[in-house]
Amino acid sequence: MTRVLASRGGPPARRPVGVPAPVLKADGLLVVAVAGLALIGTLLIWSSTRTWTADGTSMLKKHLLNLGIGTALAVAAATVDHRALRAYTPLVYVAAVAGLILVVTPVGSEVNGAHSWIMLGGGFALQPSEFAKLALVLILAMLLAQPAEGDDRPRGLDVVVALVAAAILMGLVMLQPDFGTTMVLGVITAGTLILSGIRKRWIVALTVAVAAGGAAVWFLDVLEPYQVARFTAFVNPATDPRGVGYNSTQSLNAVGSGELFGKGLFGGGQTMGRFVPEQHTDFVFTVAGEEFGFLGSVTVVVLLGVVLLRGLRIARRCEDRFGTLAAGAIVCWLGFQTLINVGMTIGVMPITGLPLPFVSYGGTATFANMIAIGVLQAIHMREQWR
Amino acid sequence: MLRLGNPNRRIHIGLIVMTFVLSIFAGRLVQLQGLDSKVYVAEAAQRRVQEEKIPARRGSVTDVNGHELALTIEAREIFLDPAVVVPGERDKVATTLAAELGVPEDQVAAKLADPAKHYVPLATVTPAVARKVLAHEFKGVGSKHKYLRDYPGGDLAGSLIGFVGDDGYGLSGMELLHNKLLAGRDGEQIMETGRDGERIPMTRTTRQTPVAGRDVRLTIDRDIQWAAQQSITEQVRATGARTGSVIVMDVQTGQVVAAANAPELDLKNWKKTPSEGWVNRAVADVFEPGSTNKVITAAAALESGAVRPETVFTVKDEIRCADRVLRDSHPHPTERLTFSGVVATSSNVGTILAAQKVGDRRLHDMLRRFGFGSKPGAGFYGEEAGLLPSWQNWSGSQRCTIAYGQGVSVTALQTASVYQTIANGGIRVAPSIVAGATDANGAFVPAPPGKRTRVVGERTAREVTTMLEAAVSEDGTGTLAAIDGYRVAGKTGTAMRYDAACQGYCGYTATFVGFAPADKPRLVVLAVIQDPREGHYGGEIAAPVFRKVMTFALKSKKVPPTGTTPPAVRIRAGE
Repeated sequence: MTRVLASRGGPPARRPVGVPAPVLKADGLLVVAVAGLALIGTLLIWSSTRTWTADGTSMLKKHLLNLGIGTALAVAAATVDHRALRAYTPLVYVAAVAGLILVVTPVGSEVNGAHSWIMLGGGFALQPSEFAKLALVLILAMLLAQPAEGDDRPRGLDVVVALVAAAILMGLVMLQPDFGTTMVLGVITAGTLILSGIRKRWIVALTVAVAAGGAAVWFLDVLEPYQVARFTAFVNPATDPRGVGYNSTQSLNAVGSGELFGKGLFGGGQTMGRFVPEQHTDFVFTVAGEEFGFLGSVTVVVLLGVVLLRGLRIARRCEDRFGTLAAGAIVCWLGFQTLINVGMTIGVMPITGLPLPFVSYGGTATFANMIAIGVLQAIHMREQWR
Repeated sequence: MLRLGNPNRRIHIGLIVMTFVLSIFAGRLVQLQGLDSKVYVAEAAQRRVQEEKIPARRGSVTDVNGHELALTIEAREIFLDPAVVVPGERDKVATTLAAELGVPEDQVAAKLADPAKHYVPLATVTPAVARKVLAHEFKGVGSKHKYLRDYPGGDLAGSLIGFVGDDGYGLSGMELLHNKLLAGRDGEQIMETGRDGERIPMTRTTRQTPVAGRDVRLTIDRDIQWAAQQSITEQVRATGARTGSVIVMDVQTGQVVAAANAPELDLKNWKKTPSEGWVNRAVADVFEPGSTNKVITAAAALESGAVRPETVFTVKDEIRCADRVLRDSHPHPTERLTFSGVVATSSNVGTILAAQKVGDRRLHDMLRRFGFGSKPGAGFYGEEAGLLPSWQNWSGSQRCTIAYGQGVSVTALQTASVYQTIANGGIRVAPSIVAGATDANGAFVPAPPGKRTRVVGERTAREVTTMLEAAVSEDGTGTLAAIDGYRVAGKTGTAMRYDAACQGYCGYTATFVGFAPADKPRLVVLAVIQDPREGHYGGEIAAPVFRKVMTFALKSKKVPPTGTTPPAVRIRAGE
């Protein structure tokens, strides 16, 4: 770290750890984009869940509560000095591992075939795998931010430790099993490793290892049949429009029938007929497509783009390696989920159960995403303050 | 400074990749929501829009007085949604439904056992029973409107009325012939439903109300039909015959008042009856008529002017005709019979002698004018035309046998129509079975009257009638057809019956057909019995059926006796 800082010249004036940074120095555009996504998401969740109960607002209220908690967590994360965060990172990691272990024990609950939940009662539940993403971001940034002597690349040992740390999380998530989240963790790991400046031959070796692993998974029948079927259906949704291809076909119908201006909030027949499954979570983008049309769905894509661009900008501007890597890892995380989620909705990616950041319903995911934004802001504000 | 391993450089690459991917997404959205959107709009709508048929109530088939012979009743189908039935309530539901519906309890329980199903029909019941069942307010027990076709008469005019299939479409008889009229037009409800089949709130629903079917009124009189069916059924059983038919026809209108068969199709059990039992034999069974046909020969002879009723024929009991020797039914010494006597005693030889004076061509024309060889067009389902060969093709012996009704074949309806023509002063009124139907407002619109054609002159008709009265007198063959207080004109027929099963003539067709009152005819009654085992003469076994049915019909129609006496008819020369 000293090296990187030194490269920018004179020692910066430092504030004591733990002192709040001026909120005014926050990245305003990032705040606006996240707020916009949260607003749109709230409307979409309202629209897709309002026929569930008599008053039609119970899911809306829960989502607003989630957003409130998430915002509080984001503000808290933003005000923590990221160097302090770095100190807490091992704790966060251990907590995440503990959560993941807990979830596969009888304490965890099974929903939709995955043992991913810890029920808290009162209709609230936690999904430790969402926090695992955050923990991975932090542990990778911490481990890979220490360059080797006489080089700005991470040390080989650190890379190996980072890989082991990531593998533990991925392995535990795979036990649930949650293939989608495992992939997110993998992409975060790969992205952060590349960003950390490891040598090209490391990249090539790891790519070969991942490809071999992927091939092994495919040919050794490790995947559940439904996962294989999803990929087959992705290649050709028409093979079985009522079965596995159903979600894909219905999703395209919903998005396509929105046309330019959409059918208006609460006006989507596909949405109200609940043809698309998981409309408030994984397929929430279909509601945007149908009810807000091309203008609405492009707005969502643009806002997500803004979040990612601001994230990259923060990563680039950050003068310390921990900040750069953490920001970069967060962009990988949110970017990959955006890619998969929007991609599957519009039929350019296979169907994988990943929520759309800041838009989908989901308490833990909302909390984790908001904390990630808080961390981005924290990194940003340190630089500003400096 | 910028090297490949540099984080900033790699961030740049990430930026480019990200921008590229998001552009692809935007492009895909342009395609989905812009260029190709119509396809998705249509496909989505197709999945959402549900068209539900609202069945129209089918019209009734009634007799001439409006008594329903076929009607549609409203019913309820009780169904189960085992997925929704509360598991703890299952036993109670099974017990209660079994008691209310009269379905065995274990059957209900078995249907309740599969919670993967959403719709299991249980029983079809009356609306009152359905209300009682629904009053229990069990979850997962529902009822659906349903129409059922009912035939209160059972086998009364069964083959004439016909039946509908499970889809409510007419399959036979009047139900098929007038299906379009009876069926009405089903309504339709178009609404948008979600994946679970529930209507999507706040979407448009269009409803086209069904148009109820019209009622079709037949010319049949339920009571006379019943009497006819009773009589023929009894006689067919008593004589061990294969089948039998009775036709009652109104002389002035040609309307069929009864068309009965034995055995007759039971409409409540049509599915259990083999399809040959669905046929209306009175209009579809083709047979050689025998002596009842002599009225046509007689009418042709009188019309030609070559023969008068008093014309005397020297009649042996056999006659050579081409390659065959043809005989009278009973051997007798050579007699000198008047033409009236020939008809009254039903002499084949005498009839052949008269026919020879008429000539083949004129006889053929007369047969055609009486309706032989063509479908009557009365409006029955399955009418047959019979078989009348062209006169040029008649064989040597056929030229003789056709005169007394062999070598030509007809249906009971065609034969009845011949006697209607004679009874009606020589004017044939095309037979009909449909009296009319209701219009869109429910008002009755009568069918157009049957076509009237003069076949023979009034004088000829009167003269033939007199001969037919003589046939029912003490001198004739049809004495058993006589009815106290009424003047009856009629003719027996005992024909050899062609049977495809024995590839030739096996058994007999016994017939009696006539009308009353003879001097002011109102009704024609025909009784035909196929292949009887006990007795075979028409005068013996068919005439009593005629008498029973005619007696009942005259009473039922309140036809008063005329109080006149029949003219004296000379049967033999010198009497």
